[in-house]
Amino acid sequence: MPSFTTHVSNLQAIGPVVEQLQIAVGSAVEGALRKAGVSIPSPVLTTAMIDTGATVSVVRQGLPVQLGLNPVGVAHINTPSSTNVACYEYLVRFVFPNNVVVEATVLEAPLQGQHIQCLIGRDVLAHGVFVYIGYGNLFSLSF
Amino acid sequence: MGQLLDVELRTYEQNRDQLLGTAEGKFALIRHNHVIGIYDSKMDAIAEGYRQFGNVPFLVKQILKVETPLNFMSNLLRI
Repeated sequence: MPSFTTHVSNLQAIGPVVEQLQIAVGSAVEGALRKAGVSIPSPVLTTAMIDTGATVSVVRQGLPVQLGLNPVGVAHINTPSSTNVACYEYLVRFVFPNNVVVEATVLEAPLQGQHIQCLIGRDVLAHGVFVYIGYGNLFSLSF
Repeated sequence: MGQLLDVELRTYEQNRDQLLGTAEGKFALIRHNHVIGIYDSKMDAIAEGYRQFGNVPFLVKQILKVETPLNFMSNLLRI
C-alpha cells in the first residue's frame, strides 16, 4: 500500500502539513496535450494541509492557470464566512512524498496567507487511510 | 468566478427536467449547447471530455434534484 509518514515539530499547532506536494495536470489532460502535440506543464511544488473539515480538495487561486488547465465543472461552497460561493473545478494529479499519486478534481479558491497553497479534503481521504499520531507529532497517509 | 462555462450551465438548466427523468444521479458531459453524454462516474465523464475536445473548458455535472453546497470548516479559505 503506497504511503508516506511525516513528522511535524508541533503537530497540534501547525497541523498535518505536507511540505513537498507536487500538483500536476491529470492523466486525461496529459493525454489530450500529447495528442495535440503540446508540451506538458511542469508540476507545481506546493505546501498542503490535510483538512478533514473540507468536503473536497482546494488549490489556491491562480494555480490552475500555472498548469494551463481549463475548468471541467462548477461547485458551490459554504465557508465560515460565506455561503453558496461558486468555484471552478479542475482535474489534477497529486504527487505526495514517496511518489504516492492520487488523481482528483479540485476547486480553485483564494486561501489565507502565503504558506498553504492546497487543502487536501475528504474526497482524497475517501480513497485512503489517514493516521494522526498526536503524541508523536506524526501523521501518515496511505492509499 | 469568471464567465467560463456559463453557456454550459444554461444548457444544463434547459435540459435539467429531462435529464432528471432519465439519468438522476449520473454525470452529464456538456460542451457549449450540447449534452454530449451521460456517464456513471465523474472521472469517466471528464476523461471523455478530454478525449473528445482536448484541453478546453467543458462541464461535467451530476444530475441531482436538490443541490447542496460543499462545506468547509477551515478559515484558511478567504471567501
